[in-house]
Amino acid sequence: MTAPTLADQNTPTYRPRPRLVAIILYTWRSCFPPKRWAALLLPCAGALLFGLLAHALHLRADRAFANVAAEGIFGLVMPIAALVIGDSVMGAEVRAGTFHFTWLSPVPTWQIVLGRWIGGSIVALVTIVPATGLAAVIANSRTSVGPAMLAAAVGSISYVAIFIAIGCLTRRTAVWSLAFVFLVERLLGAALTGIAQLSPTWESRAIFIGLIDRPPLRLVREGIPDGWHAVGRLMIVTLVTLLLANWRMKHMRLAGAAD
Amino acid sequence: MSFPPPNPNGIALDPAFAPNPSVEVDAVSVWFGPKVALSELSCSFGPGVSGLLGPNGAGKTTLMRAITGLVHVNEGSVRIGGRDPRRDRKVFADMALVPEDEAVPPGLSARQFVRYVADLHRVSRRDAAEEAIASVGLLDVADRDVDNFSKGMRQRTKIAAALVTNPHVLVLDEPLNGADPVQRVHLINLFRQLGAQGRTVIVSSHVLNEVERMAERVIVLVHGRLAAAGGQRAIRDAMDDTPRHVLVRSNGSRRLAASLVELESVAGVTFDPKQDGLVIQTLQARELARALPRVAKATSTRLLEVRALDDSLESLFRELVQ
Repeated sequence: MTAPTLADQNTPTYRPRPRLVAIILYTWRSCFPPKRWAALLLPCAGALLFGLLAHALHLRADRAFANVAAEGIFGLVMPIAALVIGDSVMGAEVRAGTFHFTWLSPVPTWQIVLGRWIGGSIVALVTIVPATGLAAVIANSRTSVGPAMLAAAVGSISYVAIFIAIGCLTRRTAVWSLAFVFLVERLLGAALTGIAQLSPTWESRAIFIGLIDRPPLRLVREGIPDGWHAVGRLMIVTLVTLLLANWRMKHMRLAGAAD
Repeated sequence: MSFPPPNPNGIALDPAFAPNPSVEVDAVSVWFGPKVALSELSCSFGPGVSGLLGPNGAGKTTLMRAITGLVHVNEGSVRIGGRDPRRDRKVFADMALVPEDEAVPPGLSARQFVRYVADLHRVSRRDAAEEAIASVGLLDVADRDVDNFSKGMRQRTKIAAALVTNPHVLVLDEPLNGADPVQRVHLINLFRQLGAQGRTVIVSSHVLNEVERMAERVIVLVHGRLAAAGGQRAIRDAMDDTPRHVLVRSNGSRRLAASLVELESVAGVTFDPKQDGLVIQTLQARELARALPRVAKATSTRLLEVRALDDSLESLFRELVQ
């Protein structure tokens, strides 16, 4: 064994991979072992089952799918699948003690946050989003495919950003993420419009409802933006959350896996 | 980042401080809730291999994490080449940590992992990753998943990932954990070579002999405080000055005791019926170790067991603190 020497550093060079690309590739390779993929595909299978469930409702196909999508897909499947992704790309790594291989590098924290978010978002776009579109097809509501996929895409990438921020704030990412979804969004968000306006669950539902023809009136929620306005709202929420994650990442206190 | 050039004439008056420091720890305290991990610790590290020695829970890992900016320092300051690692991420371009944890990123081969770290550091040398992997002897298994590696192989993979960045400051937390005896020798030689190249290599261990073999300078921590610092000889002498107790079990305790009391290196001999052997008190353990076989032969006594009763590092460190 011979130690690489300082003088060796002048030998043939090549252009290294851009850091952001390296982080995105690492996120796909390392943050999603087979068990994580299985945990992710389960809620996606759940989305397809909700598509089948729409046939059980004695309503027009579009209306039936709107009901199951609003309650089942955007209210349950999407947050759970996004939670698996968000925890994989940040919280699980911090808990395992492998995140500091990335953190202890001269890469600016915003690139780490952005790389993790893009990596996680791409995973969401190839799992949750097609599953949602397929659910609409299974439910015989082809006109809903586009709005449903757009709502799932915007909602899930917004969730991934939120769960990354939670991963930067606490080691108990999964517990706090579940608390965020079920206590803050579902419980408080159902009662308080102010919270619903910032919630990926409620806003992605509002995107879907705002973009389909003649949505069921009981699903239209007053006081929060819908359609494309909701897309803009969730983009702002995502951006602010990523900024929060970046600020927090600079001040992280990284302990080992055993601590 | 610029580090001070080696200055052979540089003299540090206090052995806790290196003459040309690239890592400076100034009155650092770190606590986790009610637990104080480091208490007003001041020391520095310069080019060459420095050993960080201490029993479990002494604060070695916390100090290494404070040096690398992984933990926030509650009081005092840490400077790497004059910069604060918690505020200036450019510090990490010249510094690498090999953590004690076994954790390695799953789903990657050793080569992919080392290349990932190289990409993060914008390492532009084509062969850097291969050289780093070769330097720890993992070239044959470089395409195997690191999850399937043994503890020692994981440790070597992390060392390769640290070396690929060509760091000026290399912090190694218990790097010999899990390594077999042959690998230990190779790694110790590797660290010595790195130190000889002018890099600041900080190696922690709770095994005194290992640190002695690789470090020219040793910092001893106990309960988060600096217990001793200096060259190996100074530390060893400090430890040699403290009385030791050695248990000797033989088939002729009485005969052996009569001869042992005449030795200069023996301060006292008592019979311990519980352990069924002699407990010898000595200030010169090495002398005693040399004399004991000779005395046993002269008295036709067969030695059944010779064991230092208080030679654990914990007891030695306790004595140093006292």
